[in-house]
Amino acid sequence: MERRKYPLYFSYPAVVVFLLFFIAPTLIGVYYSFTNWNINADSVKFIGFDNYAALFQEPRLGKALSNTLIFAAAVTVLQNVIGFALALVMNESIRMRNFFRTVFFMPYVIAPIIIGYVFRAIYHPEHGIVNKLLEGVGLGFMAQDWLNDPKWALFSIIITDLWKVSGFAMVIYLAGLQFIPKDLLESAAIDGANYWHRLKNIILPLIASSTTVNILLSLIGSMKVFEMVMVLTDGGPGYTTEVFYTYIRSTFSMGEMGYSTAINLVLFALVTLVGLPVLAALKKREVEM
Amino acid sequence: MKKMKAVSAAVAIGLLGASLAACGGGNGNDKGASPSASAGGASESPKNNNPVTLTFVISNTEDTTAFNKVFEAYEQQTGNKVELQALPGGDYDNLIKTRFSTGDFPDLFLMQPGTKQYVKLRAAETLHEWSGESGIWDNVFDSIKQAQVENDKIFGVPYGSTGMMGVFYNKEVFKQAGVDVPANYADLVEIAKKIKAAGFTPFYEGVKDAWPPQVFYYTGWVTQVDPAIGDEGVAKLNRNELKFADIPELRDLFAKQKELKELDLYQKNVMAGTYDEMQNEMGDGKVAMAFMLDGIVSQMEQKFGKDWVTNNLGFFPFPSATDQGIAMITPPNQLMVPEKAKNRDAAIELVKFMLQPDNVNLFYANKPGIPIFEGATSELYPVQEDVKAYIDAGKSRVNIQNRLTASFVDFSKTLQNFFLKGDIDEAIEEFGANYQKDGKAKLLEGF
Repeated sequence: MERRKYPLYFSYPAVVVFLLFFIAPTLIGVYYSFTNWNINADSVKFIGFDNYAALFQEPRLGKALSNTLIFAAAVTVLQNVIGFALALVMNESIRMRNFFRTVFFMPYVIAPIIIGYVFRAIYHPEHGIVNKLLEGVGLGFMAQDWLNDPKWALFSIIITDLWKVSGFAMVIYLAGLQFIPKDLLESAAIDGANYWHRLKNIILPLIASSTTVNILLSLIGSMKVFEMVMVLTDGGPGYTTEVFYTYIRSTFSMGEMGYSTAINLVLFALVTLVGLPVLAALKKREVEM
Repeated sequence: MKKMKAVSAAVAIGLLGASLAACGGGNGNDKGASPSASAGGASESPKNNNPVTLTFVISNTEDTTAFNKVFEAYEQQTGNKVELQALPGGDYDNLIKTRFSTGDFPDLFLMQPGTKQYVKLRAAETLHEWSGESGIWDNVFDSIKQAQVENDKIFGVPYGSTGMMGVFYNKEVFKQAGVDVPANYADLVEIAKKIKAAGFTPFYEGVKDAWPPQVFYYTGWVTQVDPAIGDEGVAKLNRNELKFADIPELRDLFAKQKELKELDLYQKNVMAGTYDEMQNEMGDGKVAMAFMLDGIVSQMEQKFGKDWVTNNLGFFPFPSATDQGIAMITPPNQLMVPEKAKNRDAAIELVKFMLQPDNVNLFYANKPGIPIFEGATSELYPVQEDVKAYIDAGKSRVNIQNRLTASFVDFSKTLQNFFLKGDIDEAIEEFGANYQKDGKAKLLEGF
């Protein structure tokens, strides 16, 4: 039976919006990254690769780059591990399952700024609940200045972000798990497959599309991290937790629009460079049911 | 079929057009903001039939109580409302500039003092010019007015009082530790040691909030850098002919702050220190001193009451090697109205309303300070009388930030790093490099 197709012109409004609000600004941004656009200047001049040359001589960029990559790698891996583990548990017939699903998902809908302020209090070296708890169980020697010690600051931001986003990964994995036919798992169990074998040979391959979506979303989202860093440390102490977007913000606010746009394009290229091979690799693993 | 296609396309385009038009719409606040509606004069006209809501942007380091009182009176008289938006103090300049560059103009905003702000905000193109405006300058002290003039033009209306920065201290803690106001810098370190020995925290520094550690340098500058480099040195800095790293007295300020940390004279967990906690700890009698700006006076009044401020809060300048030093003062902040503000005319009328003698006195009643208006009365706290005495004795100097056009960009970040590493060379190099970067970004001559 031939599927009836909708006429192409139905897509025109969406295409127009996409061209107008995404493609056009992106192309204009590419142009401005090659200019000296500055809010204090009367005119905008084309300056070739000068912005990019200056950018790669800036020591702050190296720190922002390494912090962004560490953050993205840690959050992408751990968000998926935790999200998947939660989904497996929340897919079982346990008491108050819906309540727990809501509890785990709830941090995702809380504004990062509120989470940031709450965790600033939680991490406080003297009055924060983390150190108080450690002291309470006799582990006072492990107490740290979580957000202001360069050794721990990025780690603390990562943990906070994981608390926020793991519930979202859980929901996507949960949707994938619920599409797996129960009789498939039951027949595998009858055939003698233990839980590990069912997980490895049935569950993981069949939720590969959920894994693709989750990994891509968390990778792109974490490379664009801003609010959580901004509110917890503002890239500090000093520049120790600087990420791409806090650096971009600081250059934008100095009025160097052309230069800032160049940094933005470098981040765009980086996300694309990392994202495309990951997408290709994950797509290969997907199986049709 | 063709006809159907054409109709569908027309409907789709129509819907798209409608959605775009909706995006461009205002928030409805500007309904009555046409010049004819608002230019009638908020101060003279009765209640407006089409009241507007004005946005007033202010730094969150400023106490807003006094402004709110004046705005309440304004609302009662005109029916117009004023929505107060407090932006983070550490990023205030950047946020204002960003809003300007994106066309998101507030109706009115409070800016730091000095004509350097005109350069920062490209005032000639963006701000309302006040020099010929009636009802503005009638009561402003002439010296204050003249400080606002650049190229015969004025883009900011001074409002508030003469400010100050220096060492604020808890008199009761001094009394309990058996120490008095220091006679010189070495004395300051000695009394800090005695205070520590008596079980109190000598100094509190809000490194986590980033901006407070800068006060140490601004107050120290007038006492030990200004006498060394003179006005000519400041002029050279403005022309980028003098490098920060080449000023030994400035390098010495870094050494002094490092010494205080090494002597363990700051609070425990100095990196986690915040402005808010500093107020609490000083008010609770745990902390003796803080290098701070005068915003602390109203903050302490709010938290601990007028009596506490009257009896407990003291002030002295950053001491020099030989004497008590020079008090650092700041000209009053300034009110600015963007030319492209939605409610520009109503904002201009609001400024005129704020400058009326009754409203000026209402402001000072809620935020006492050294007045800048003729005939204005303000009950000064002893801590403010102390500064006034320095001003009257000619022992005061305006903040270096207000005398330089380029800004000390990211100085707070530099100081956070400095508190971590203690590397004076690195800190002063970065300080200088960021100053030059800002001069270059502002396209200033010589940078």
